[in-house]
Amino acid sequence: MIMRNSPVVSLSSISKQYDGLKTVDEISFVVKKGAIFGLLGPNGAGKTTTIRMIMRILYPDSGSIEIFGEPLAGVRKERIGYLPEERGLYRKMKVIDLLTFFGEIKSMRRKDASRKAAGWLERLGLAPFAGKKAEELSKGMQQKVQFIATILHDPELIILDEPFAGLDPVNTNVLKDIILEFHRRERTVIFSTHMMEQVEKMCDEICLIDKGRKVLEGRLDEVKKRFGRNGVTLRFSGDGAFLKDLPGVASYSDYGNEVFLRLDEGADARAILSEAARRLDITKYELADPSIHDIFIEQVSGK
Amino acid sequence: MKAFHIIRREYMENVRKKSFLISTILVPIMLLVITFIPIVITLFMPGSQVTIAVLDRAGGLAAGFSAALNDTLKDGRPEFVIRDFADLPAGFDEAHEALISKLEADEVGVVIDIPADVLEAGKVFYYTRDVGSVTVLEKFERRLNSIVLKKRLEHAGVDYAAVKDLIKRIDLEVHRVSKTGTVAKKELLSEWGIVFVFIMVLYMTLLTWGMSIQRSLIEEKGSRVIEVLLSSLEPKDLFIGKIVGLGAVGLTQIAVWSLTGLALGFYAFIAAARYFEYFDIAPVVLVYFIVFYILGFLFYSAIFALVGGICSTEQEAQQLQGIVTMPLIVPILIIMLIVQSPNSPLSVVLSMIPFFSPMLMLARTVILMPDAWQIALSIAILLASIYGVIYFSSRVFRVGILMYGKRPGIREIIKWSKYS
Repeated sequence: MIMRNSPVVSLSSISKQYDGLKTVDEISFVVKKGAIFGLLGPNGAGKTTTIRMIMRILYPDSGSIEIFGEPLAGVRKERIGYLPEERGLYRKMKVIDLLTFFGEIKSMRRKDASRKAAGWLERLGLAPFAGKKAEELSKGMQQKVQFIATILHDPELIILDEPFAGLDPVNTNVLKDIILEFHRRERTVIFSTHMMEQVEKMCDEICLIDKGRKVLEGRLDEVKKRFGRNGVTLRFSGDGAFLKDLPGVASYSDYGNEVFLRLDEGADARAILSEAARRLDITKYELADPSIHDIFIEQVSGK
Repeated sequence: MKAFHIIRREYMENVRKKSFLISTILVPIMLLVITFIPIVITLFMPGSQVTIAVLDRAGGLAAGFSAALNDTLKDGRPEFVIRDFADLPAGFDEAHEALISKLEADEVGVVIDIPADVLEAGKVFYYTRDVGSVTVLEKFERRLNSIVLKKRLEHAGVDYAAVKDLIKRIDLEVHRVSKTGTVAKKELLSEWGIVFVFIMVLYMTLLTWGMSIQRSLIEEKGSRVIEVLLSSLEPKDLFIGKIVGLGAVGLTQIAVWSLTGLALGFYAFIAAARYFEYFDIAPVVLVYFIVFYILGFLFYSAIFALVGGICSTEQEAQQLQGIVTMPLIVPILIIMLIVQSPNSPLSVVLSMIPFFSPMLMLARTVILMPDAWQIALSIAILLASIYGVIYFSSRVFRVGILMYGKRPGIREIIKWSKYS
């Protein structure tokens, strides 16, 4: 029995290199039981490689990985559910047969697998497609089928590589609710993404990697606290480019309708506001936490 | 045993495929057509009659020759019709000219001109518009020969019947003494025949089904289903599942073909029965045939799977296929060694090597039943090799799975196989 907060997955300085290029470089982190853990990073940061090493699809060149406190080779695969980044379904198989098969190879009884698969299809609005071939489904539907295959056997650890990529907001919400349900039942969830809104809403802990290296790690609230409550959100009309050169502005992120400024420790927010008000027509001014999004952009782009 | 689920999926999905149904049904139909077309042709197209005019310059040969041409067509009519033309001019050369012009006018099909010196010169002239079938020519030649020969003997005052008795050919009847003491009459052909049939069947089915295993593994790597599968089971289970599942699909098709072939075409059945009588196959050999076939099929399928595991595209795999199928040819080349001395140390050793043992050990059971321990040993080696190849390739596959675009070298393959 694994107690809450005991480590479910722990990586200690794993590295993987392809043709002399370090895809993953000395990454370590610990995921505790019951956590929703976000593995963040831009494209090509090494998220998928890291996850594949956790899944024992790839071997790390160095470092070690433990799951449920055991070395990787001894872990029963039934305890893990894995959604790969590139979806893989047997195109010619009927959806219900496909899910039953995926359940069976996770040691479910055939009947159970089939019954549960039907239940999930119903819940995700795919019941009418149960008898259709996988290739006849839209991309979004295929992704939902793949998601069902991941959680069908009710694993203790769920690893999702870019689970929301390509889903519309409605389906994103459906998936999010299911993930949170598993979370309430103390299942551990690891997911990789570069969609920061989901991270903000769901994650307890994050690990941000870039170019194969760990940049940031910790509880979401702690990470945010570390970056301080010294951000300013501005909405205005006019050219605000000068803002980034004002004294006390540590970083500047332009989102089109709004601009987020992170200020240096002890910077004079009022001075900045009055300078901005002098040159721009300001419609919104707000002292704010930096969002994970801002932290992400700032950490990855270097400023 | 998770391999079981893979086996079931591979089997059920492939057996339901349209391409499988079509080829499984179409081939027996084609077999039937091929079997029945000659029958239909001979029933409804009895062939045509040939009209012949004979110009006998030597004299006394035409009657015997005409009488000898007593062949009949399939529908019972005589094949050859001798025409006597009453309106021929006197004189052989003039008659010859007249006959040739009749030939040109299509009044007669063949003109035979027997020269006066036929007994000495041994030459007869055959005129026709189209040379036609070789069998007709042969018939003519054979009959003319015997008639001329008879005439020559008659002239020399020798009795034809006596000479015929004197020059009778010898027939060599072969008896083989086997260990159990029974004496069996054997044709060498049966040894060759069954081994040849075996190798051909193995070769053909391997080329289609072995390759389909290879293709299916390559496809799976491309489709990324493999990641889901590997997150659920060990690569060894996947390999066993693929090989046994797809192998069973292939065996199903072959079984359907042989059964429909036997059941539907009773003509073919009779032909097959005759054939078996001729080959004189012991029932135990038939059992070995099936056992070695299945083991050989599995062994080579595992090798094909190894190729599929290493390569990432079919083009790449094709280059390796040649090397993989090469050992299948070797038994055909060295079968003579086995036939000549089935119990020599060389034969024994060769029939233990898993690449050749399915064919060579089978050949030995046909030629001279080897000791039971030898058969058992070769089966054991074969089974161990099948396991070994599957084990090795699953490890290589395991590590090589996410290597795209470049084929590993031998050293890398061996390195991969050592990862745990």
